[in-house]
Amino acid sequence: MNPDFLFFIEVSLAGLGSGALLALTALAYVLIYKATRVVNLAVSEVLMLGGYLFFAFAAGWNFSPWLALPLAIIGGGIVGGIVERGLIRPMLGENPISVFMVTVGLGSILVGLTELMWGADPRTLPAFISTKPLFLGEAYVSRKIAVTFVVAAVAMGIFLALFRFWRGGVALRATATDQAAAYSCGINVPGVFSVAWIVGCATAAGAGVLLGAIGGISTTMGVFGLSALVVVIIGGLDSILGALIGGLALGLIQSWAGTYLGGEYSSVVTFGLLIVAIVIRPFGLFGTHEIERL
Amino acid sequence: MNTTRRMTMGLLAGAASLGLGIGAVQAQDKEIVIGGSLPMTGVFAFAGLAVEKGMQDYISMVNEAGGIDGYTVRLAYEDTGYKVDQSVAVFNKLTSQEDIHLYYGDSTGFAKTIAPELARSGDMIMGGASFASELNDPEAYPYTFIPGPDYSEMLDILLEYIAQETPGASIALINSDTEFGRDPIKPAKAKAEELGLDVVLEIITPPGAVDVSTEVLKLRRARPDYAIFHGYVLAPQPEFISQAKELGLDTKFMGTFWSMDSSLWAGVGEAADGYMGVMPYRYYYDEDGDAPMLAKIREMQPEYVSTGYMQGFLSAMLMVESAKRVLDAGEEMTGANLKAALNSIEDFDTGGIMGLPISVPGNSVPVGRVYQFSASEGKMLPVSDWISVE
Amino acid sequence: MIIGTAKETYRADESLLTTQPQRVWLAIFAASLVALPFVVNDYWLYLTCLVAINVAAATGLNILTGFTGLVSLGHAAFMAVGAYTVAWLETNLGTPFWVNLIAAGLVAAALGILVGLPSLKVKGLYLAIATIAASFILHFCFVHFDGITGGATGINIPPLTIFGAELTTYFSLYWVIMPVTVLMVLGAANLFRTRIGRAFIAIRDRDISAEVLGIPLLRYKLMSFSIASFYAGMAGGLWAYFFRVVTPESFPLLTSIFLLAAIIVGGMGTILGGILGAVFMTLAPELLRYGVEWISPLVPNAGALLSPVRTVVFGALIVGFLIFEPQGLAEIIQRIRRFFRLWPFRT
Repeated sequence: MNPDFLFFIEVSLAGLGSGALLALTALAYVLIYKATRVVNLAVSEVLMLGGYLFFAFAAGWNFSPWLALPLAIIGGGIVGGIVERGLIRPMLGENPISVFMVTVGLGSILVGLTELMWGADPRTLPAFISTKPLFLGEAYVSRKIAVTFVVAAVAMGIFLALFRFWRGGVALRATATDQAAAYSCGINVPGVFSVAWIVGCATAAGAGVLLGAIGGISTTMGVFGLSALVVVIIGGLDSILGALIGGLALGLIQSWAGTYLGGEYSSVVTFGLLIVAIVIRPFGLFGTHEIERL
Repeated sequence: MNTTRRMTMGLLAGAASLGLGIGAVQAQDKEIVIGGSLPMTGVFAFAGLAVEKGMQDYISMVNEAGGIDGYTVRLAYEDTGYKVDQSVAVFNKLTSQEDIHLYYGDSTGFAKTIAPELARSGDMIMGGASFASELNDPEAYPYTFIPGPDYSEMLDILLEYIAQETPGASIALINSDTEFGRDPIKPAKAKAEELGLDVVLEIITPPGAVDVSTEVLKLRRARPDYAIFHGYVLAPQPEFISQAKELGLDTKFMGTFWSMDSSLWAGVGEAADGYMGVMPYRYYYDEDGDAPMLAKIREMQPEYVSTGYMQGFLSAMLMVESAKRVLDAGEEMTGANLKAALNSIEDFDTGGIMGLPISVPGNSVPVGRVYQFSASEGKMLPVSDWISVE
Repeated sequence: MIIGTAKETYRADESLLTTQPQRVWLAIFAASLVALPFVVNDYWLYLTCLVAINVAAATGLNILTGFTGLVSLGHAAFMAVGAYTVAWLETNLGTPFWVNLIAAGLVAAALGILVGLPSLKVKGLYLAIATIAASFILHFCFVHFDGITGGATGINIPPLTIFGAELTTYFSLYWVIMPVTVLMVLGAANLFRTRIGRAFIAIRDRDISAEVLGIPLLRYKLMSFSIASFYAGMAGGLWAYFFRVVTPESFPLLTSIFLLAAIIVGGMGTILGGILGAVFMTLAPELLRYGVEWISPLVPNAGALLSPVRTVVFGALIVGFLIFEPQGLAEIIQRIRRFFRLWPFRT
């Protein structure tokens, strides 16, 4: 095979891998937005917290990684539940910007608490994914990236299936479409809110563990969440499919920009795309039109 | 009612402790205060904590030996969280409370921000955690010094080592997209050309980048003999190295001072084996050579202390030495006199902290040695002699 | 006890200060601003100057967010634009400082119009996110247009010069920074006595009705963006003279969040709120420093708590005010005023 073409394929595969992680994080935004119409910027910090919880269980208490991983995810879910009940519920019906700023403040609180608990030093997670390289034909793929891709794809598949077939998933979709109607059909709307936050934050925490396994954890790793926010804006705030396709696309674009233009261009390309997307299709590629009036 | 009373009590207690504090300050009169904006928290806390320990240890050594000409030395510092505006606030707070002629700053940004103020007041000289090449200019920064080689001098040391080991080697420069990371790129390229080395690849990683597999692919295409990291502490270097190793690359990876602490790499494991880099000071466990000062440090600190400790220790040593020379000459403690005293340091014995007798001709001490990490021993081992550039 | 203010003319109704006690208090406040630099030390003078700069920037953001209802999380980027403008003019042309400051405002305002363009199409959160994106793109420009911005190392700025005298001490800088800030705040207060200011408020309260009333939305939204950016640019210019160096990392996204937090805590949509918020949010971390000093004899290693505790307090203030006191500190002040107005007849 032509080496330049092979290189392009390898770069694209790496892009798809990190795109899957973006998509998984984007999913957390979408779940929470769909149910409660809140853009939760603290997803970034819950992601970071997930990484630290895994670190605490696996390195601090010497649990097996396969026990620490679910514990970290559950921990993220608990945080989500507490936040929804304690901070978001009282803000119901407020201006979306106010709620958005609450989540910004919450992010700051989580960063501070994490630093109090574990200090600000960057750390590496105990290795739990093999580092042997993987070859698809001739093309090299980092195994961590491949594992991330598979995990993210499976999680996405599960969520799509749940929304189709599980009562709770249908209830969530009903709530997203029309709260009042959902209420009158006997759906426990506050319950749906709680579940959405718990599942959303648990997803973010899981993504944090994967991210930490690749790049180590630090209190500033939440920056990754901003890229995922770009994904949801481009894909549509209330569309799971949008998160999936947007995430993969952004991963690819970032990877190409980083390779052919230089690493310093990846963020400018990302945010340039965001502005274009907002001006042309503010509701996103797959989003519902009405949310334009947010 | 109850709460108010408790609050009043609390306030009284606070006021009392404040009063005690003031009393304590007034009790000592003949002292030299070293001020410090130190990052005890935040992303650079690991360095700030170690630097503080190093400075305190040297200061207590000096004081136990009777101080300088009857003056005791004291470190007055506060936490900055590694934020420039906080560092400036701390600087202003300390200088308005104490009579400070020596200062330790925590970042390049702070050093640049405060430089005009230093020039205006002309009261003090400042060292710090920044090795930025820009600060190594006595014209623009007359009252600043760097307790080691600046970043481009560090790269010079590495490049000279490479040119010696593998003449005509190909090199990749991997830098983070920050002021810190971009600092030595241009001079390093010029130096490489001068030494007949071939810079085949330049990688700039965005700050906070996690996935480096695309960068590793670039590295595999270029297949350089050496890759030099700069602008990182640890991440994403281990991931880079382990992926490159698995791909069968025999590139040797190198780094600069802030990523050279051996406890950092001890946590990484096998991938860290063979990582090289430049270090201006000896390591805590280095028992070779004539290093009485290291023996003293091992006495004071039974456990391993990091490279930041050595940096703080040497900073304090240079500061105290300058102050001593000014006092000996019977001059006034001003920035200009202190800097002149610092520049008069020639073939000065650091007690083995640095392997060569040092001189401070300008703003920096351009001496360093190349070390290599051995994963089996968990230590950095020297692979070159002490190299002095310029 | 004042039970009401009789206003006999429209002028009286529009005036900024309506009662005698207000005028007295303001006079006392002005006098104390003049006296302040003579009584405090360098540290507090430094903080006062920093507060003044933040007040100017927050007032600008308040015009945009508090009065026009357009949320921006890119305000710090406009401060950066102002700071770079001052730095470039000082080092390349050496024009007088007031020219530089106004130029800083104008350049920022021009960019503000550009960034504000999406505001006709999107509002609320989308606009906030668009401004975040704009600030990242501007950051990229600061790093890569090295010819103008000095690249990653930034620009060092010579001291502010007035009539040949170099102002280098905080004491002397205070006499430039504070008057400029006072003028800017007065300008903002007066803006809302004009058609333009009232149009902004109309847009905030209901943009569609505003348009029906004959307010061209695009023009007024862009005007609001440009005025807010002008304020940010001026504040950034003052910042540049104050710190004498500007680098791409001088104005991170966190500064934008800080400014938005300041007007939330202070009270959106009141001039007083912008001032109070900026003062409070700038000084609160410093007060925590004293708090840590007090507890340090009791708690080992208290110094290491400072920065994370600040981060937590910063977040908690935003969350707490939004949930419990959405009108901010300005509302608390109003409540105290109402209390004393009726005191001692009603407590």
